[in-house]
Amino acid sequence: MADVWIAGAGMTRIGRRSEPLQELMAEAALTALGAAGLEQPDALVVATMNPEEFVGDGNFASNVASYIGLAEVPAIRIETATSSGAAAFYAGFVQVAAGQRRSVLVVGGEKMTHLPTPRVSELIGRSIDPYERSYGATMPALAGLITRALIARQGITLREMAQVAVKNHANAARNPYAHFRDPVTVDEVLRSRMVADPLRLLHCCPISDGAAAVVLTAERTAVRVAGVGQGTDTLAVRHRHDLVSFRATQEAARSAFAAAGFGPERVDFAELHDAFASFELIALEDVGLVPPGKAGHITLDGETAIDGRLPVNPSGGLKARGHPLAATGLAQIVECVWQLTGRAEGRQLDGRIALAHSIGGLATNNWVTLLERP
Amino acid sequence: MIETIAASRCPRCHEMVAPPAMYCPRHPVRMVPARLPGVGEIVSFTTLHSPPEGFRSPLNLALVELEGGARFFCHGAQTRGLRIGSTVAIEAIDDVYYFSHIGALDRARLFWRRAGRAGDRVNAIARSVVKKVWKGTPRA
Repeated sequence: MADVWIAGAGMTRIGRRSEPLQELMAEAALTALGAAGLEQPDALVVATMNPEEFVGDGNFASNVASYIGLAEVPAIRIETATSSGAAAFYAGFVQVAAGQRRSVLVVGGEKMTHLPTPRVSELIGRSIDPYERSYGATMPALAGLITRALIARQGITLREMAQVAVKNHANAARNPYAHFRDPVTVDEVLRSRMVADPLRLLHCCPISDGAAAVVLTAERTAVRVAGVGQGTDTLAVRHRHDLVSFRATQEAARSAFAAAGFGPERVDFAELHDAFASFELIALEDVGLVPPGKAGHITLDGETAIDGRLPVNPSGGLKARGHPLAATGLAQIVECVWQLTGRAEGRQLDGRIALAHSIGGLATNNWVTLLERP
Repeated sequence: MIETIAASRCPRCHEMVAPPAMYCPRHPVRMVPARLPGVGEIVSFTTLHSPPEGFRSPLNLALVELEGGARFFCHGAQTRGLRIGSTVAIEAIDDVYYFSHIGALDRARLFWRRAGRAGDRVNAIARSVVKKVWKGTPRA
């Protein structure tokens, strides 16, 4: 397998956007192509979770390709629910690694804020097992179940969980691309509206619009893709043996580290899928960055803060940078590339190895991507 | 009375799921029909304050580990006094499953039925009482 490198990265400001989805994806794609100094890639991979229902358009690989002037470039669309961006990155990565293409543009995006919130929740909720959905289960409901079990089993405190949101909002305040630029306090989190007991509103990520893109190439650049791993699990939460860790994350991490040839101890910073604050704590342990049972303590101690030993979600994470579904997995990778190449103005870290972790559905199709500045 | 719940078992890995599924989630083989007692332990629960259309708020949801292995997803009328590990009974009302705190009589019946020998019976009842005091489960 050939080495795969990242030649360019780009993203839109995340938040409530008035532009059509195609325009958001064009903005991210053209920024990434510009950064790579490339006009036309050999292939295009498009990630969107549900453009058919969010914006009413289908055949979306061709739709985006035609919109951005790449109608004659071979294009495919990839979908693994909320991790579609990370899955699309993998689809681009294997094309270059196999020597099939010299350069691949990967772009992901979603647009949802023009729809009423209950409608968006319902559409996102369709990635849940149909039987559990028939009982009224939504993403926050299942996350609430998991979080209560986490508190009971691992002794995670409400304060530790709130600190995840506080930290990620503080990071986003330094990120001009983030959805939320205002800090929040522990008390504000603990006083916010109850969504799915014990999860409160400020434990949960927002509904956001946005797009992100990267250009992958076979030619050496500053950032190498060290490994990509995928892990999967049952659609139904009731079919799993463990509620407080995700097999899909553990398996994705195991295979990404095996491909990279190094372990979690080499990771300098990480972007983790914190759709709910408790998920960042679960992910820290599942990917192996923190020993079991320690995620809450080290978060409260500031170890995962931007000036800590192991910065987590320097972008602000899904919680505060925002979560435009299929853009998210790529937005995490864009943040890692910018951090590794000294382009993360206002929140710049000093690191050589970055980890990005993306959850699809209720942890049914997860990805871990490792990037390295050799 | 304790109801039984339709389930299915994988002939390959012997995993039980409820309600029954056509294929095992982890093996591409047809499952075999089975039934499980409608009683188990709370694995976790939540109260959803903005449920989807068609559901009344607040909506109580629980994951219950049935005796016999399968985890079961259901509604509940109330969560007061409920804890992870609480024993609950599952009953169907109009084909929708609800959990409820298990009554003293059902609890006694259950342990009676489970325990084979006299000594086991005494132990089981003692365990039940200890567990109840320790967990503070209220009477239904």
